[in-house]
Amino acid sequence: MPEVKRKYVIPGELITEGNYRIITNVIKRGNKFYSTRIGLAEYGQEGVRVIPLTGPYIPKVDDLVIGKIVDYSAFAWEVDINSCFLAYLPARNVYGKSFSPRQEPLVKKFGIGDLIAAVVTAFDRTRDPILSVSSPGLGKITKGEVVKISPTKVPRLIGKKGSMIKTIESGTGCKLTIGQNGIIVLTGQPEGVIKAVKAIRLVEEEAHLADLTQKIQAMLGVKEGDG
Amino acid sequence: MGKLINDGIRVDGRRADELRPYRLEVGVLKNADGSAYIELGKNKIIVAVYGPKEVHPKHLSLPDRCIIRCRYHMSPFSTDVRKTPAPSRREIEISKVIREALEPAILVGEYPRTAIDIFLEVLQSDGGSRCAGITAASLALADAGISMYDLVAACAAGKVDGTIVLDLSDVEDKEGEADMPVAVMPNLGVITLLQLDGILTHEEFKRGLDLALEGCRRLHEAQRKALMERYFKTAPNQEVE
Amino acid sequence: MAAAKKSFVMEHLRKAHMIELLAKGKRLDGRALLDYRPIDIKCNVIQKANGSAQVSLGNTQVIAGVKIEVGPPFPDTPDKGLLVVNAEILPLASPYAEPGPPDEEAIELSRVVDRGVRESGMIDLSKLVLTPGQKVRAVFVDVSVLNVDGNLIDATSYAVVSALMTTKMPELEVSENLQIKEKPNTIPLPVSNIPVSVTFARIGESLIIDPDSEEESVMDARITLTTVDDGHLCAGQKGLAGGLTYEQIMFAAETAKIKGQEIREIIKKVVGSIG
Repeated sequence: MPEVKRKYVIPGELITEGNYRIITNVIKRGNKFYSTRIGLAEYGQEGVRVIPLTGPYIPKVDDLVIGKIVDYSAFAWEVDINSCFLAYLPARNVYGKSFSPRQEPLVKKFGIGDLIAAVVTAFDRTRDPILSVSSPGLGKITKGEVVKISPTKVPRLIGKKGSMIKTIESGTGCKLTIGQNGIIVLTGQPEGVIKAVKAIRLVEEEAHLADLTQKIQAMLGVKEGDG
Repeated sequence: MGKLINDGIRVDGRRADELRPYRLEVGVLKNADGSAYIELGKNKIIVAVYGPKEVHPKHLSLPDRCIIRCRYHMSPFSTDVRKTPAPSRREIEISKVIREALEPAILVGEYPRTAIDIFLEVLQSDGGSRCAGITAASLALADAGISMYDLVAACAAGKVDGTIVLDLSDVEDKEGEADMPVAVMPNLGVITLLQLDGILTHEEFKRGLDLALEGCRRLHEAQRKALMERYFKTAPNQEVE
Repeated sequence: MAAAKKSFVMEHLRKAHMIELLAKGKRLDGRALLDYRPIDIKCNVIQKANGSAQVSLGNTQVIAGVKIEVGPPFPDTPDKGLLVVNAEILPLASPYAEPGPPDEEAIELSRVVDRGVRESGMIDLSKLVLTPGQKVRAVFVDVSVLNVDGNLIDATSYAVVSALMTTKMPELEVSENLQIKEKPNTIPLPVSNIPVSVTFARIGESLIIDPDSEEESVMDARITLTTVDDGHLCAGQKGLAGGLTYEQIMFAAETAKIKGQEIREIIKKVVGSIG
């Protein structure tokens, strides 16, 4: 494994100097690299980046998100995806290309306050994110507990190759649906859900620390390699 | 013989180059996306940042960047004589200069078609509230996770009883000869606020600016500490692995 | 970072869970129906004010400051001092608050709290007269709401009462020729009673105390009842488009007396520790 150096940084702070490729949340002046965020800076062969510890959710195409219906018109639902951009779920992405507003009012499918799991199918700097619920497992969420964390900490909650999710799921018997936008839905027995929420809160608090998976494994009594 | 400085000591006991006691805290309001609190002398200022968020009304949004909105407001009980709650012309001007002091630090292009709202509430005022407000506001922006070139630290210098002094208190501001608030992006060395109120020679102006920048440097160190305290408290030390 | 919408929409899933719990006498945050959230009161937080208090009720946070001035009385009450209560929901307090003059919610808040203080006779306004018909003390209580998480009325009310109880003002002397002179010592306000408001929300058939923002977003009706030291009622306000039954109102009145006494003790303890 190539050597990666790490350092806690704040905006404007010098990370390193030399010849690196910028990955993300870094600006270059001369041959010096500075952070633009509060977070964990990493630099090595791959390049230099800052993994932020706070910040808004910026949608990316193919992200799984959990959103809340906040309004609808004749052609689309408006979905709050915990971002600075309001997302749209066009009716044709639900009913098919031949959808006509004469068919049925949208509220019959999803009402204001409904939660949905969806995938971002289009988004760029010039237009709002477009969602789809057409793949299996997407659509209205009818049961479970909703938990919110900072979207910047979602990668940590998922873990390397999903190791953290697996640990929490096997340790609590719960199923986790994690939206990239920081919204998580937990389903399972009430005691399991309480344990899982505690584990999620710990991940959130200590996202900047190493050995987090081991810590959660110890907390939930899961042996390495389980799950 | 001055009445504000005696034997090099100011009315509140400070030397010419000393800041008033200060305290900075990050993450003080639950609802805000980012927040911070500062005490500097008698100043007590709380700042919240909301955003980036959708712009209403929509026609105010810009296609290639976010807009920054800023409101500096004083609570009615913050001053010696009760202040009416409606914004005064002074508060509106200060809101503008604070916005323009902070905006250069923000990577506005990262958040097209959105707005960032910065609300500063002065719960108790003393001299230099705009500078203290800027120092806290840049922490609130960082706390909200908004991409920034640098933090912004601000501090005033001025002339009192013929002496160039740092960080003027209320009475020094009112009765002194000159007051010069300065804000800077410390790592970049870019000055983002400069106002001057009173007469200074060119030489005094230079000394005042140097002193104000030195004050900003000290406050920047305090900003850094406050962010470290909020985000890396459970970290054993600064270098990882 | 909620995409800007005019008001908070609660997820159906969470609402259904809330209703289910309420039927069992429980709430989402683990409270019983008639439990308050943790109350924290700090007095003398603003040195430039004559009196001040910062109150948190769960995540709801408010700060009240008292300023005392001298001025002419209102023409219709020449024999009384002035009391003005004014609350502002600051734009920094919530993603849904907007800058600008107080809206009807903020004005109702000010007036309901004002009514509790005024009607309780907490402050003997006749003792604030300096020269009858000409100069009286004016007591301004301004409240800044810093973080909105439901039940602003009670949080504001406790902050106003605590600030008034710890207010210190310069003693004034009126000379023969009616000149007003400030003496070096300070005196408290003529306070004799502690009004305590208790706010209830009706969600479906359940009556709960101290609703948070989520509960307020689904409540059908609200009622605030304020009691004085001897348990008598001194002010009330029913709010929102839903109604309440006779039994619900009588239950609220009885509960307001009991809960009011508990909170009165908390306020007394905090204020007493200041001396």
